Amino acid sequence: MKFLKKNLLYTVGLSLVLTACGKEESVDPEPLNFQFVVPDNFPQPVWDTENPMTRNGIELGRMLFYDVRLSGNNKISCASCHDQKLAFSDGKALSSNGVSGTVLHRHTPALINLAWANNGLFWDGGSTNLESQAFGPLTAADEMQQDLFELVDELNNVPEYVKQFDLVFEDKISSQNIVKALAQFQRTLVSSNSRYDKFRRNEPGGDLSPTELHGLELVRQKCQSCHAGELFTDNSFHNNGIDADFDNDQYEGLFQGRFRVSYNPADLGSFKTPTLRNVALTAPYMHDGRFTNLEDVIDHYSQKILVSPTLDKQIPNNGFQFSVVEKEAIMAFLKTLTDEEFVTNSEFSSPR
Amino acid sequence: MKRILIFAFATFLFSSCDDNDDTTDVQPVENAKTTITFDARVGNADFALNKDFTIGSRTYNFSKLRYWVSNVTLIDAKGTEYLIPDSYYLMEEVGDLNLSGTISDSLTYPARKRESIDVEDIPAGEYKSIKFSIGIDAKHNDNLSLQAGELSIANGMSNIAWMWHTSYIFSSVAGSVKEGTTSASFLAETGLNANYKTVSIDFAAPVNFSTAKGLVLNLDITKVIDGIDLIKTPKVNAAQAAVMSALATNYGTKALTFGSLSN
Repeated sequence: MKFLKKNLLYTVGLSLVLTACGKEESVDPEPLNFQFVVPDNFPQPVWDTENPMTRNGIELGRMLFYDVRLSGNNKISCASCHDQKLAFSDGKALSSNGVSGTVLHRHTPALINLAWANNGLFWDGGSTNLESQAFGPLTAADEMQQDLFELVDELNNVPEYVKQFDLVFEDKISSQNIVKALAQFQRTLVSSNSRYDKFRRNEPGGDLSPTELHGLELVRQKCQSCHAGELFTDNSFHNNGIDADFDNDQYEGLFQGRFRVSYNPADLGSFKTPTLRNVALTAPYMHDGRFTNLEDVIDHYSQKILVSPTLDKQIPNNGFQFSVVEKEAIMAFLKTLTDEEFVTNSEFSSPR
Repeated sequence: MKRILIFAFATFLFSSCDDNDDTTDVQPVENAKTTITFDARVGNADFALNKDFTIGSRTYNFSKLRYWVSNVTLIDAKGTEYLIPDSYYLMEEVGDLNLSGTISDSLTYPARKRESIDVEDIPAGEYKSIKFSIGIDAKHNDNLSLQAGELSIANGMSNIAWMWHTSYIFSSVAGSVKEGTTSASFLAETGLNANYKTVSIDFAAPVNFSTAKGLVLNLDITKVIDGIDLIKTPKVNAAQAAVMSALATNYGTKALTFGSLSN
């Protein structure tokens, strides 16, 4: 049996101390420090996980993200369900790609702009940051089913990993350092170069048609109370009226949304707002993938709202009642949020 | 050596940003060390597993007692606080625990009784009180990748899916309870940031750790479960928020008291 190694405590201790002072200390910059570039039209990201990004750390995270060694049967990697060409989603309503082959209960989320996702991960927000979150899919029996001790042994058999972990963390390979590297890579997955972004930044290629502009106006009026701001998500949790009965508490409250984490009755049926960015690539939709295409989603918000006490207050009981022209305009606009550079950027692709 | 130097640097930084700290008065003295024991008891009896205890009208038989003690701080006569570095300790009394399928396909946590922590390099001085917390502070509870003290996801006191919240289990006591013909198997756990409880305990008289070799604090299980009806609510966890909160409050307000000093 192995237990926690304490080799890196001094770094943690030191950063703790720096944080405790409540002000930014200028630490000697490492030559390979990574400068996180915030797109001009985006807010500043905020995360505080004592896991500073470095080029080597990101590269290590990318190696791990695409490595099938991270699954119990050594057949699937993170990328098996988070496919770059689908904006790191999987195109399935509910995946059965896991080691057990069992159909999962929740739809695979797309991985987009996670550096800003600081209000809980998973559809019900049960994980506070990417570092903690990674342990979920890694160990879940129906996902990667990875024995973490075995994983450390497997990676220790790869000299390149031993070298990289030492370089990045000045430490041995550990499950904690594995999730830190994965988190560093995932925070680089910034999508900010859609046609909409170029429009916002007055850049070449940023022209929107009259229909798309009409769609933008409708999205601003009707959708952006939740799909807020330039991130097109408020990173919060809402009941969007796809269900109205949350009495079923099976699977430890699986169908009750955020309530299973907060136990606040106001959160019954609330799920995390996904971003609208790259939404044309991330079908099907909702936490259980119940809507096959965007038309279904728009129809839902237009006239199929199911009313319950926790229905989000911004959604009218009888829906937004979009006309055919309005639906087409919204659809046209949503497609301008597709970021081809994001889904083809070789820095996000498999390193092999 | 490098590690020691960086620790020293960290300590220096810490001192330098604490307004109340008078660093000139706090000199580490070689061999100023002590053992802090958390003596688990059931009323006046010593706590033990697999043994019947009568509490009120009920008979309890415990199979597990585990809780995190964190951020242990000694406070001297002037009010200066000495936070023991990396103080995250898992106190426990358990039989073999089968943790298979948590983070490992096959994993047994061996039977263990642990009631004491050894503390070294205590700055010289007369100490009047101790404070510590039951559970894990929000910063570490929210981030399972942070390594400090005994924090680990390998011992069954963190849970990747505990109540669907990636965090630590702060305390866990399990066993059976019966009253007349009614009985229940119980598992009473606390967790979540709101239930992180800090306990302050004054010493009977000022303590100098260059002579005092042992400090005993008592944890009384009858106080831990006081007011908690484990026949009515045998599973206490986040799904029973009010009961869990009451249980955490018991740890924070009355279960732990000053025991004794040994020289």
